[in-house]
Amino acid sequence: MDDPTQALIDRISADAAPVRPFRMGRGLALAGLAFVVTIIATLFLLGARHGLMSGEFSVYFVVVNGLLLVLGLSCVTTVVAMASPHVGTGHEGPKWAIAMAGVLPAAGVLAASAPDGVGLLHVEGIHCMYMGLAASVLIAAALFVWLRRGAPVSPKLAGLYLGIGSGALGSVANGMACADDSIAHLGIWHMAPVVIGALVGRYVISRWLRW
Amino acid sequence: MNGDDATMMRLMRAAQNGDKQAYAVLLEQAAKWLRRYFRRRIALEKLDDLVQEVLLSVHAKRSTYDPDRPFYPWLAAIARYRWVDYLRAEYRTQTQELLEDTASEESAEEPVMARISLDRLFDQLSPAQAEAIELVKIEGYSVAEASERSGQSQSLIKVNVHRGIRKLAAIIEKAS
Repeated sequence: MDDPTQALIDRISADAAPVRPFRMGRGLALAGLAFVVTIIATLFLLGARHGLMSGEFSVYFVVVNGLLLVLGLSCVTTVVAMASPHVGTGHEGPKWAIAMAGVLPAAGVLAASAPDGVGLLHVEGIHCMYMGLAASVLIAAALFVWLRRGAPVSPKLAGLYLGIGSGALGSVANGMACADDSIAHLGIWHMAPVVIGALVGRYVISRWLRW
Repeated sequence: MNGDDATMMRLMRAAQNGDKQAYAVLLEQAAKWLRRYFRRRIALEKLDDLVQEVLLSVHAKRSTYDPDRPFYPWLAAIARYRWVDYLRAEYRTQTQELLEDTASEESAEEPVMARISLDRLFDQLSPAQAEAIELVKIEGYSVAEASERSGQSQSLIKVNVHRGIRKLAAIIEKAS
């Protein structure tokens, strides 16, 4: 061993303070807590949608929010795992969830642009998009903190999944308050936070995930 | 000292608990392993710098090691990350000397080591990308010299280096 390397080893091993190992469970608990707090805050600030407490849901509400929930959980679980690097980890799960949820905007655009559709732009939709984005902030912050403390070796992919996961769960939280159950509304405006989150995560947040 | 994975896992657990002696032994074994790991994939005069950078990263991120998982795939992920950083850096070495393929330590864990090797990562590149990166980033030739040696145009060399490194960065955790 050359002298500088041995000197470095001597120096850093003398600094071996105890550390708390990363565990998936703690990361998931942190993200889960952020999600629960977001839902409670949404219900408190915007109020629960009609029928939420009595279990009356439309089919579109269940399908869209179910897909968003699966997409969000898949991405969040992967982001938490990415904080602890390991050769041999594929991170393939979210790809299938993204492909699955990708059907929704297509259905939304088709329904909105149909002759009897509501059109692609309407004020309530834009309002819902903002609410979904606002609801994703706390979840995104929790995941960002976790990744910054960790060692993600694929920062671009980690940023992308962070944006998609927090956007999807933020949209689910907003869905608890939104009364519009049309596929045109849900497919476009409840998916918009996911798309925006993906772009911000991939091109902005990932820059701060390098170490 | 046997640096097999079970031993390294035990040492790393002790290091995470603040055992300085175990940590020193672990780092020494890791440094030896890293020198073998980077062989033929980095110019000789850059090797010690890269090993030291990885050791510093290991120290800074030692909490990210999950004590229930194998040690070497974790170390290899950090080593690959730093290596790709090195390839990205704009440097040019004057010497073309590379570490010879020093005898690797044969052991029962060899198949595992092969799965996490840098060669396996390099195999994911197209032959033209691998050749361009080897000539320009590892052996230190200029773009013009690399073009002459490989038969690729200068612009193709630049594109292949850029795309190849981008691909390597995207598959750091890929095993095979």
